[in-house]
Amino acid sequence: MAATTVAQFDGHDAVAVRYHDVDPVYAETRDIRLLGFVLFLVSDCVFFGAFIFAYLYLRVSAPTWPPVLNGHQLPWFDTAFAALNSVVLFGSGVTMHFALENWKHLNRRKFTSWLIATIVLGIGFLLGQAHEYSLVLKDVSWWGTTMGASFFTLTGLHGFHVFVGVIYLTTLLIQTNRGVYTGSKYFGLTAGTLYWHFVDVIWVALFFLFYLW
Amino acid sequence: MEAGTTTSHADHGAHDHIHPPPEGFIRKYVFSLDHKVIAFQYFTMGLIFMMVAGSFGELIRLQLTSPTGAIMSHATYNTMFTMHGTAMVWLVLIPLVTGAAGNFIMPLQIGARDVAFPWLNMLSFWILPVAAIVLFSTFLFGGAHAGWTEYPPVSLADGTAGALWCVAIFLVGISSTMTGLNFLVTIVKMRAPGMTWTRMPLFVWATFATALMNMIATVALSDALAALFFEHVWNVPFFDATRGGSAVLYQHMFWFYSHPAVYIFILPAFGVISEVLPTFSRKPIFGYKLIAFSSMAIAILGFAVWAHHMFPGGLAPWLQLPFMILTFAIGIPTGIKIFSWLATIWGGRLYLTSPMLYAMGFLITFTFGGITGVFLASVPADLHEHGTVYVVAHFHYVVAGGAVLGFLAAIPYWFPKATGRLMDERLSKIGFWLFFIGFNGTFFPMHWLGLEGMPRRYASYAAFAATNPDAVFWNRFETAFSFLMVASVGLLAFNVIWSVRHGKLAGINPWGARTLEWMISSPPPYYNFKKIPIVLDRPYDFDKPLPYRNLDNDVDPYPSPIAAVTGVKPVGAGA
Amino acid sequence: MMTPELLEKSLAFVGAIIVGVTAIVQLRNDWAAKGLDAVVTKLLLGLMAVGCVLALLAAINVVGVHHAS
Repeated sequence: MAATTVAQFDGHDAVAVRYHDVDPVYAETRDIRLLGFVLFLVSDCVFFGAFIFAYLYLRVSAPTWPPVLNGHQLPWFDTAFAALNSVVLFGSGVTMHFALENWKHLNRRKFTSWLIATIVLGIGFLLGQAHEYSLVLKDVSWWGTTMGASFFTLTGLHGFHVFVGVIYLTTLLIQTNRGVYTGSKYFGLTAGTLYWHFVDVIWVALFFLFYLW
Repeated sequence: MEAGTTTSHADHGAHDHIHPPPEGFIRKYVFSLDHKVIAFQYFTMGLIFMMVAGSFGELIRLQLTSPTGAIMSHATYNTMFTMHGTAMVWLVLIPLVTGAAGNFIMPLQIGARDVAFPWLNMLSFWILPVAAIVLFSTFLFGGAHAGWTEYPPVSLADGTAGALWCVAIFLVGISSTMTGLNFLVTIVKMRAPGMTWTRMPLFVWATFATALMNMIATVALSDALAALFFEHVWNVPFFDATRGGSAVLYQHMFWFYSHPAVYIFILPAFGVISEVLPTFSRKPIFGYKLIAFSSMAIAILGFAVWAHHMFPGGLAPWLQLPFMILTFAIGIPTGIKIFSWLATIWGGRLYLTSPMLYAMGFLITFTFGGITGVFLASVPADLHEHGTVYVVAHFHYVVAGGAVLGFLAAIPYWFPKATGRLMDERLSKIGFWLFFIGFNGTFFPMHWLGLEGMPRRYASYAAFAATNPDAVFWNRFETAFSFLMVASVGLLAFNVIWSVRHGKLAGINPWGARTLEWMISSPPPYYNFKKIPIVLDRPYDFDKPLPYRNLDNDVDPYPSPIAAVTGVKPVGAGA
Repeated sequence: MMTPELLEKSLAFVGAIIVGVTAIVQLRNDWAAKGLDAVVTKLLLGLMAVGCVLALLAAINVVGVHHAS
């Protein structure tokens, strides 16, 4: 096997050794995995996209929006809390970015702190969504109207993606603790970061479509 | 045996590494990571379900021998055509053309050792038997009744069966999407050195276009099915017009996938034809770039025509026109291919082997089906033809006379490569004629019956027969000819099973073809290529020397798992 | 009078500025990076910044104010 240089964590702000330069075999494997993961995210976009199409179709063809149920028009969603919760989620995206940057600069402790911050903010978002659901469910149910149908389906699927993301990030925390990733081989971290950003950006679309439009 | 060693990194990549051989029955034959074994699994499963779904079709034909319905209740008949279509589309066609053909042929043709994600490949296969169990369990709950399209609100009356139907097809969708992603990454990243995009075999181009559609479109189906499932189980009003939902919304979501799906069926078949015709005409393929780019054009345009399935369904007139025009337009790249194939065989030295017969039969029946498709694309004509057996004739001509015939050409062509033994050529040819005559006899009369107004999906056509006295004759005619197709598939199954152990030894290249899979032993060793070859040119120029370097054909003493079954010792190039 | 709604909006406003500015600064720092993951990261960071802008506008009632139609 050709010699590979594994970057050591020594606390200095050195940049990780570029694997392309020392381990072209790993570089190819990583490229394959990266393309596969990005294509998975593209297909996940279509997954949300088709439901968003359904929501647009139902909303545009409805005689009034919010729709009328049992003679009363349903209330609009509350934008203020959603705006705060959105900022929490976007904040977690930025903290995850910092986490990965620190890993690349071989700052293991800072990586761990930023990753924990991301997980905490992610859980915060989920708790915020739970609170939002408890408020919305007072007036709007999943099965009563197309408003509930589209809102709970889309935000529910998104929340599920966030939940899976939190699990994945926690797994990364455990794995980095065990030394699974090195300064030059850390594809799991890259994938986790991309997934987390993706989940963020889907929320931008949903926040706009349900709360701002 | 150099198991577990890597070659020099200077000019080889990650996919050059030969991993240790699989050990144990489970790893070799059940949970195999080898794309060739997985392809065999898809093939076996697909053939079995072809016989099951085909027998539902035969029951349909028996029912229609009498205008009031000969053998079953209307409810059962509805279940029959629903499950015939559902099983054929999702347990036969998609698995066979992508999972069996794509999996076996594509990695060999690009000079790779396997697909990009072998574990995902294995998972994609094993989801299907689970999905099949869920699908057939719908019979225990009264069966699904609303056709393979299961439109709400009619399908909502299916109750538990309808919900299970959604789950089954959702599972198939996951399998398909993963396969599409896997093939895309494999083709983009794992081609042999020197194999530029325009030196790829045309089957690989076809698989690439198919994988694109598979990965993107199937997800839309998953959404439609998830929404339908939610409506079944929790009454969530996506498609219920009384609560603001829309039945037309389901049709949009369903057909956004299901139209590209039909191109998923046919593009690999096109790829097979593009491989078979040059080999048996001893001529280069005519219009390589035309065929390659028209595959991409079909894949992209295929996303833009879905609403032509919805013309009578209350689609706004201003929407009908662009879909009509785009549907006409998609006939153009297809037509380019047909003419290119005709130009390929024109003036060639033809060898009428069974794959060649299937391929030439394909040219006839698929073209015919394509023409009737143009008639259906026209909105005014479609308003008359929709819901009649004219549509049934059209799609059977393009699917059974197109995709299935293409796949049936692939079987005797690549069977020798996969097993090391040739299929019995005489039985294959008899099978072809049985299928071709039976198929045309069954579906041709449906064209005029449909134009005269015979409805599809009706358990009894008594009203139509009252005004069309020869309706009964033609239906019985069709049923009689359908038995020829049954005989053909039965003969095929026998031929496959017999030839696996008793077929003539094939050697490396029984057809004298030029793509990379024909440069290694039959069956190939589990790692395909000992050394990844270097590709210098396209594979179709029969009067030039082989455009490959670095081929290493030493006899490998380690047999492939398939060779152990077929009893063939792998043979090197020198033998 | 600090109602819950006003508190939420104030926190959202401040948070959106902090997160949005940070996202844009990181985007500028990483602008030259090459590779598929870098391209995807830049795209998604940019869209996150857009999200922060939307949240900010929502917090100051420029968008997202609805009256029953």
